[in-house]
Amino acid sequence: MKSSPRFGLYFLVLLTVVISFFPIIWLILTSFKNTAGIYAWPIQYWPDPFTFENYISIFNNSPELLRYILNSFIVGVGCTAITLMCGGIAAYALSRLRLRFAGVMMVGILAVSMFPPVSLLPSLFQNFLNFGLLNTYTGLILAHAGLFLPFSVWMLASYFATLPVEIEEAAKMDGMGFVRIFLTIILPLSWPGFVATGLIVFIFSWNEFPLALVLMTQNAMRTAPVGISLYPGEYAFPWETISTATVLAIIPVLIITAIFQKQIVGGLTAGAGK
Amino acid sequence: MTQILTLEKRTALTGIGFVTPTVLIIALILIYPIIQSIVLSFGQSSIDGFEPYRFVGLDHYSKLMGDSRFWNALGVTFTFTALSIPLELMFGIGLALLMNETFKFKGWARLAVLFPWALPTALNTLIWRWMYNSDYGLFNAVALQSGLVERPINFLGDDVLAMVAMVVVAVWKTSSFMALIILAGLQSIPRDLFEAGRIDGMNRWTEFTQITLPLLKGPILVALIIRSMDALRTFELPFNLTDGGPAAATESLSLYAYKVIFDFLDFNFGAAIVVVQFLVIFTMSLVYVFALRNKD
Amino acid sequence: MNNSKLYAVGLAAVMAFGAPITALAQDLVMSIGSRGYGGMVERNIESFQAANPGATVEWNKVSDVPGDSRKLYVTGLMARSSTPDVFAIDVIWAGEFAQRGWLEPLNGLIADDQIAAYNPSFLSAATVDEKVYAAPLYLDGTHLFYRTDLLEKYGLEVPKTWEDVIMASKTVMEGENNPQLYGFVSMWAKIEGLFMNWLSFTGGNGASFFDADGNVAVNSPEAIAATQTMVDILYKHKIAPDSILTMRPNDARTLFQQGRSVFLMVQDFVHAPLSAADSPVAGKFDFTRNPYFAGNKDAHSTALGGWLLAVNANSENKEAAAKLVAHFTSFENQLSAALDENRAPGRTDVYKAPEMETASLIRDFGANFAVGVVRPSAKTGSLYPRVSEAMQIEITNALNQKKTVEKALNDAAAAVKQILGQ
Repeated sequence: MKSSPRFGLYFLVLLTVVISFFPIIWLILTSFKNTAGIYAWPIQYWPDPFTFENYISIFNNSPELLRYILNSFIVGVGCTAITLMCGGIAAYALSRLRLRFAGVMMVGILAVSMFPPVSLLPSLFQNFLNFGLLNTYTGLILAHAGLFLPFSVWMLASYFATLPVEIEEAAKMDGMGFVRIFLTIILPLSWPGFVATGLIVFIFSWNEFPLALVLMTQNAMRTAPVGISLYPGEYAFPWETISTATVLAIIPVLIITAIFQKQIVGGLTAGAGK
Repeated sequence: MTQILTLEKRTALTGIGFVTPTVLIIALILIYPIIQSIVLSFGQSSIDGFEPYRFVGLDHYSKLMGDSRFWNALGVTFTFTALSIPLELMFGIGLALLMNETFKFKGWARLAVLFPWALPTALNTLIWRWMYNSDYGLFNAVALQSGLVERPINFLGDDVLAMVAMVVVAVWKTSSFMALIILAGLQSIPRDLFEAGRIDGMNRWTEFTQITLPLLKGPILVALIIRSMDALRTFELPFNLTDGGPAAATESLSLYAYKVIFDFLDFNFGAAIVVVQFLVIFTMSLVYVFALRNKD
Repeated sequence: MNNSKLYAVGLAAVMAFGAPITALAQDLVMSIGSRGYGGMVERNIESFQAANPGATVEWNKVSDVPGDSRKLYVTGLMARSSTPDVFAIDVIWAGEFAQRGWLEPLNGLIADDQIAAYNPSFLSAATVDEKVYAAPLYLDGTHLFYRTDLLEKYGLEVPKTWEDVIMASKTVMEGENNPQLYGFVSMWAKIEGLFMNWLSFTGGNGASFFDADGNVAVNSPEAIAATQTMVDILYKHKIAPDSILTMRPNDARTLFQQGRSVFLMVQDFVHAPLSAADSPVAGKFDFTRNPYFAGNKDAHSTALGGWLLAVNANSENKEAAAKLVAHFTSFENQLSAALDENRAPGRTDVYKAPEMETASLIRDFGANFAVGVVRPSAKTGSLYPRVSEAMQIEITNALNQKKTVEKALNDAAAAVKQILGQ
């Protein structure tokens, strides 16, 4: 009785895995073909010859690729840091200090998180231009922080809400300042929440496109998704370069996802539950 | 000094202090630009101060109403949303049910579900664009070699197929996200409900429709809200897949706004488009938020 | 009180002495890409610095993708930045940038006889209200490439008209009976290049974008007939692949290079890869002037593109910047760019130089430029991007058979008129 539904189950699992992975597999295979192989007809399923030449030449042809990846890292880390710090204390205040405006503010934060990024573009661009924030790490980090603070506040608030109320009581009785309470009691207890939120925000920042496209116009400052998306030009779609660069650019995110999958899934499901 | 302040006052002050940085950043990056866009949309100016700001009232909006490309973009955006959301929901629920079971290799399955979500949409779209290529793409190669078709299918060159292609990419990427949200809901359904159902002689289908689905209403609603907001503001998908083509058949509202602002350098008209988009999404989000509040 | 007077005198003295010193040390920033002509840029900068001691030129390498460098320039120009002092612009930006007040007029800063030597159709793209805003650096244009071996095999002459091309394509396709072989391929994706392609076709039928009175004439009978031929090439004569509607220049080139097309109509840069050692069609192709329609022998059907050098209107060293521009576009330097980097000169006199005898390729390209047609960017100025976009959309609609050619062009005319406020 059990075996046939099990078979069906495993088949579905296999199907899911294949569908999820095949584009990435195809991408990797493409990156190992030479130009003739990529444009071969009939199509080459397996690279023949299997060559590393794209990877070697990409650093000659597109030296800025490493810079793109570095930029994505810097912006991602910066944005995550600010979001966790500001979002952390805001979430703490809104979820545990029983403030009168807490409910309204949480709803307000939820509402602003729905603003379409493109709506922000004309004025963000104009303002950043006038204040010299275009093509700066500070600028994009700030912009990303704005985008992802709502999410992070909601997620961290939901983590804090799960902590028992009593833990702070004693400390408050002792007259401990709230900053100390936050740092010495709350933080250590909820760091899994911080880790999960941080990972997700980092991934969001890495993948963000419209703002990164508009606020970084100098090639050297672009983030990876934007830089690679702009390789195609009026004349051509350089698939050799694009596939290789894409593989290199998604490795960090894939590694993070693979290592921290439990935390990320936990974070997303818990956060969404709220 | 702190002893003079009551605990309540201290709490309130701390609360305000803790919340301020977040509020400042959000005000700077999210709220103020929207207001500024509204102001821009009511005037005529140039970005470098060459032309000073001149109030023109509803000029841009009336121009927008008569702009067929705007209506096209609106239609494309709604069509895309209406097509992709139900599919994502369906696959999301299916995947969530799958993930809820226990089996070997669950780690791989979870990773498989997570990967599409983790990839940058922009890059993942490029991969699909390559696979859809009519001369050298994977899909056409398989279709031609298996004898399904005789001439290569011009996926991205036909307006209907291009929309379908776009929906496929969206569904591929976000079904997993939907699945995760629904999974949370699934995992919170008490097991004894299923036990009771089993005892009553329910088969899997009735179990699904009578127990699971009703209890999933909450997470499904959340997933719907988040995804439809995202779908309505889709940008990098058409940008990288078709550049809005063929001939604006997949040009979403965000993409049109971007072109007006950054290709035509018309910040004022672009601001009008952007304000309309914002109003549409904001209205829908209010509706959703109300629905959510009433849920609890 | 005395102190401040002293201070003022001191300051005046420093400025008096300082002025000649700064006049000698001009630091110019030049933004230009590098792919394919880096050598020319290096040489010219060196020779300029040698001839103008005290002047230094910093080469700011920008992206070779036009859309990219345009965004970069636009951001800086909007911020009224004083650098770069000199930058290379695509021919279609000249009118727009000039109208936005971003470029400095060159009349008076560059000698009149030098200006008179520039290619007139190209110069017209950079002339607004009789003022010249940029100097042509190099041109490119579209040509008809063809397979010499296939034409020979079927005893066909090099086609001159579109009717010839269609007939030749059909003959070869039927003879070869190879489903992978097409007759004609070009860059018909919804890109700027499509607009250029369309101008080639319509120009070949004697049509022009504006009529003699300056009214929009994109829906003239000649234009409609020419556009109908484009549609027929795809659907009636079936000599082009369906994917032509998604092709950029390099995609079309790749197909031709694989030996899968008899004719190819794209820009001249493809000549190098097509003649490379590993190209299957190396030695088996040649090129000629773009076809025209029967009865229009003198029609201008070579779609021109290219780059010009302009001076930033906010530059602090306008005279020196203009000198640099004049240097790059001088007779000698244009000649050496032609001979060494295969850059088709923006000056007509260079083509007649005796050294050009050996540079037969450039000379032949140049001959086709003589019957060139430029896009209406000068006349439409800052509205050009919108006009081009409107044209691309309607041409695509016609090519996709979403609208009849007549309706598409009528709609295009209406849209362009609305944009231009006509």
